[in-house]
Amino acid sequence: MSSTLQTPRAAKPDEDADAHIERFGSTRKSRFTRHMILCVIGLVMMYPLLWLVSSSVKPNGLIFSDLSLWPAEWSPSNYTEGWTALEWDFSVYFTNSIVIVVLSIIGNLFSCSLAAYGFARLNFTGRKLFFALMLGTMMLPGHVLLIPQYILFAKLGWLNTYYPLLVPNFLATNAFYIFLMVQFMRSLPQELDDAARIDGCGPFRTFWSIILPLCRPAFATTAIFTFISVWNEFFGPLLYLTDPELYTVPLALRQFIDSEGQSQWGQMFAMSVLSLAPIVGFFIAGQKYLVKGIATTGLK
Amino acid sequence: MKEQPPSTPRSELGRRNLLKATGLGLAAAPALAACGRGFGGGGDDESGDGVTLNMVWWGDATRAEKTQAALDIFIEANPDIKIEVEYQDSGPYQDKLATRFAAGDAPDLMAMRMDSLREYADRGALLDLNEYGDDIDLSGLSDNAASLAEVDGSVFGVPAGLNAVGFVIRKDFAEQYGVEVPDGNTWSWDDLGAFAQAISDASGKEVYGTGFDVQTLQNIVVWVRQQGEDLFTEDGQFGATEATVEAWLTMADGLRQSGAYPPAGFFEEIGGGPEASYIAQGKLASQIIPTNNFLGYNEACGGNLVLLRIPGEAQAVRRGQSIDCPHLWSVAADSKHPKEAVKLLEFLTNDPEASIATGTTRGVPANESVAEEIKDSLEPDDQVATEYLMGLQGEDLPRSYTYPPGGSAIADFLDVIAVEVEFGRQTAAEGAAQFVAEAKAAIAG
Amino acid sequence: MSVDTESAVMPGAVAPPAPQVKRRRGARKDRAGYLFLLPWFIGMLFTIVPFFASLYLAFTDYNLLNAPKWIGLENFTAMFRDPVLLKSLQVTFIYTFVSVPLSLAAALGVAMILNRGIKGLPWYRAVFYLPSLLGASVAVVLLWRYVFGLDGIVNAFLGWFGVPAVSWTSDPDYALTTLIILHIWTFGSPMVIFLAGLRQIPVMYYEAAAVDGASKWRRFRSITLPLLSPIIFFNLIQSLIASFQTFTQGFVMNNGGGGPANSTLFYNLYLYQQGFNQFNMGYASAMAWTLLVIIAVFTALTFFTAKYWVNYDS
Repeated sequence: MSSTLQTPRAAKPDEDADAHIERFGSTRKSRFTRHMILCVIGLVMMYPLLWLVSSSVKPNGLIFSDLSLWPAEWSPSNYTEGWTALEWDFSVYFTNSIVIVVLSIIGNLFSCSLAAYGFARLNFTGRKLFFALMLGTMMLPGHVLLIPQYILFAKLGWLNTYYPLLVPNFLATNAFYIFLMVQFMRSLPQELDDAARIDGCGPFRTFWSIILPLCRPAFATTAIFTFISVWNEFFGPLLYLTDPELYTVPLALRQFIDSEGQSQWGQMFAMSVLSLAPIVGFFIAGQKYLVKGIATTGLK
Repeated sequence: MKEQPPSTPRSELGRRNLLKATGLGLAAAPALAACGRGFGGGGDDESGDGVTLNMVWWGDATRAEKTQAALDIFIEANPDIKIEVEYQDSGPYQDKLATRFAAGDAPDLMAMRMDSLREYADRGALLDLNEYGDDIDLSGLSDNAASLAEVDGSVFGVPAGLNAVGFVIRKDFAEQYGVEVPDGNTWSWDDLGAFAQAISDASGKEVYGTGFDVQTLQNIVVWVRQQGEDLFTEDGQFGATEATVEAWLTMADGLRQSGAYPPAGFFEEIGGGPEASYIAQGKLASQIIPTNNFLGYNEACGGNLVLLRIPGEAQAVRRGQSIDCPHLWSVAADSKHPKEAVKLLEFLTNDPEASIATGTTRGVPANESVAEEIKDSLEPDDQVATEYLMGLQGEDLPRSYTYPPGGSAIADFLDVIAVEVEFGRQTAAEGAAQFVAEAKAAIAG
Repeated sequence: MSVDTESAVMPGAVAPPAPQVKRRRGARKDRAGYLFLLPWFIGMLFTIVPFFASLYLAFTDYNLLNAPKWIGLENFTAMFRDPVLLKSLQVTFIYTFVSVPLSLAAALGVAMILNRGIKGLPWYRAVFYLPSLLGASVAVVLLWRYVFGLDGIVNAFLGWFGVPAVSWTSDPDYALTTLIILHIWTFGSPMVIFLAGLRQIPVMYYEAAAVDGASKWRRFRSITLPLLSPIIFFNLIQSLIASFQTFTQGFVMNNGGGGPANSTLFYNLYLYQQGFNQFNMGYASAMAWTLLVIIAVFTALTFFTAKYWVNYDS
């Protein structure tokens, strides 16, 4: 190995790595064009959010007639009224959602990483079969499972609790995340495992000390996606929660709407904007972990 | 090789940790409360005596408030009956209801749509109220209203309110463009055409004269009756002929060609309620709406709407309009407390207090004397709608028959061929033929 | 008796010597694997039971309210004669094979740009991810009307080029296009995954290549693509499976209906309509299992081709 590659570069905080990459083949002009392209695309991406925010401070009547982003009339009371418009304060709904989401993330990270390591790095009877089975569970449209699942959970007495929403997450039922982690783990060099085995590590030790830390991007991705999908989940909570005090934010938001009559659009949009804040916040916070590259390739 | 974390002074770390801890602590309390509830902690009040009814309906928070107000009156008078309520928007509501029935976990009292009534009733899922004739008195309902939930002599529900369809016209546009608003009791479809044409021409197609839905069953059903047929007949068959359907499509197409009706593709099917409607946005001068939405539409149109009957009533072979309801209240056949559920139903239907509390959120009260009693306490727009309906109730109108099982698919068929004809991908004759064939097959299958 | 899976896959392989030792080692390996998968096994109970329940239902006439009645293959034969179902298959196939490649390409493209280190990278990333957050929410759908409506922004924009206005959302010929665009617009999810994958590629490879004077394109082809291939593979499979099951976009965009002349009636949407609106749960289950077979076939095909282009570092 040449001297310049002797010590594989450690991951530094964003800026350093970026600046380093930046040095390779990017002129000022290409950087500028890149920024321009990104800005334009960015505006297109942002537009709906801007519209949503601007609609959230318009009075109901104007939302559909006044199409500009700057409200002709301001109605910030949408926020205060919307907060208390339903049977319970939105603080209740937000708390419920957060509890469910946090627990779901923990469950997913825990169970899916275990299963992924098993599939990716361990050999055991029936591995290919189980892997295929796991993938297969992703391929069946969920609607036909709704009723059998509902009956199953009803028999377990779990109706009107959070159990049907949480327990599956602790039991690695999300094939998406298992598959994601499998792919990440498989792209790590096998030499790492070999080195660990030579050092006398059993599979669990290898998993915990070697593979896990290197999978941070996969974990960050799993956490972020779980947050978003569980936060926005509608159907599960709809079916299993009957007591409005248990409702999550999407259920509560839907209660502003009456598809056959008048809906409280302004308030709904206001609460939707508030509902987006945790997701965006979590994403921005979690991004940091998404980008921490591997510390070393582990090559000695 | 190792990362050097930015060095932080000790006090900073301490303060940061303290803040974090406080934040977590503040969040922990409500979080723990949520956990407690969510894992079966709360809500387990199995009081030995007393009955708990489970009541569900669709609607939004505003309707729920009004309904709860009515229920509170009932609970006060019946302290040993508790009512657990749940409501969702119409789509999710249907899904959850079907799921609950499938799992054997049906609610006691529920809102039941006319187009799914027979899907449930024919399979024995609903209680026949005739068996509880002593507990509920339906004599205050007009014949038309009472028969809405009748299937083969059994009564599977009570209308939660009554409505009909009506033609609304924006009188401000009529004035602006110098067109006279026709007389709602005597006008014909040709009169509508003339009116719409005049508006479109005068405004240079900025405002289209009319834009009634061609593809919804509740509109075509009026037309079909006016030609002497019934879309759904008394014995659950499909009764419209190809010629009638073709005439409907041709009529709309003619208006479209002449500019009285907006061109193909003008309407986008995205919902959004009265505020988002084309008439509220000033693109249409008239359309058909269900009368219980009159308040919403008139508000969105700045109070400029007048409510007319559907055209052609005076000239047709037979009256086309009918008394309908947004939904029925039904009781589950497997309900563990049928007597109490029926008692509640009796209260909602016949007690004026209930209707004063709920207002006309579900339409005009089914009981005629109750409707009369509460009329003065209503908003002016609701009074207009109520009077309109009560005027119709007094007349000899055809019965509105329930959809036969398989009937709700027919709404989708009409939707499809209406668009095909609209865009010229099929002729009206072809569309009508296809629709009638599919409809008959759906009912038979 | 534990059969070593490797040798099972390669027929004709010589049986390893010292079977005694092999079996013991094999058993221990197995145990580790099973232990790691223990939560998954338990979880499968929650999935397997409803899974096979729905398979049973596919052979029945089940209207949700009465007990299911066995009717054998009738549901499946009826499917072939159902023109609406065939239409929904067509819609779903077109949607999948157009939007999956396009959205993955967009995701990879933007991820590459973002990976190069821009000032304000975290903000760009968040902004590009936003559409995926809003997804097919009510707000987006309402907005889509304004953007794609007859007098919306898109038509105004096209008008500058003299293109006549088209009713994108209510014309049966174009409605699906708006949904494809909506799907591509939400490329945030695969983009984030690509970004994570790109970050795992050791910088030193690029350094070495740059030192050797490789062009940007060469670097992309020889370093990025191969090393990213497991992630590309994941995103491809994931998008395929998800795309075949598209439901929400169609459902929300057309209020539960199938769009103008059923032009956006996705297979999964039609399935839902049959099951929950028409109370034909047996038919819906048959549809579901047919879709599963279709998806499985395409997934297997993709796995098969993976041999040729997916690189695992082992």
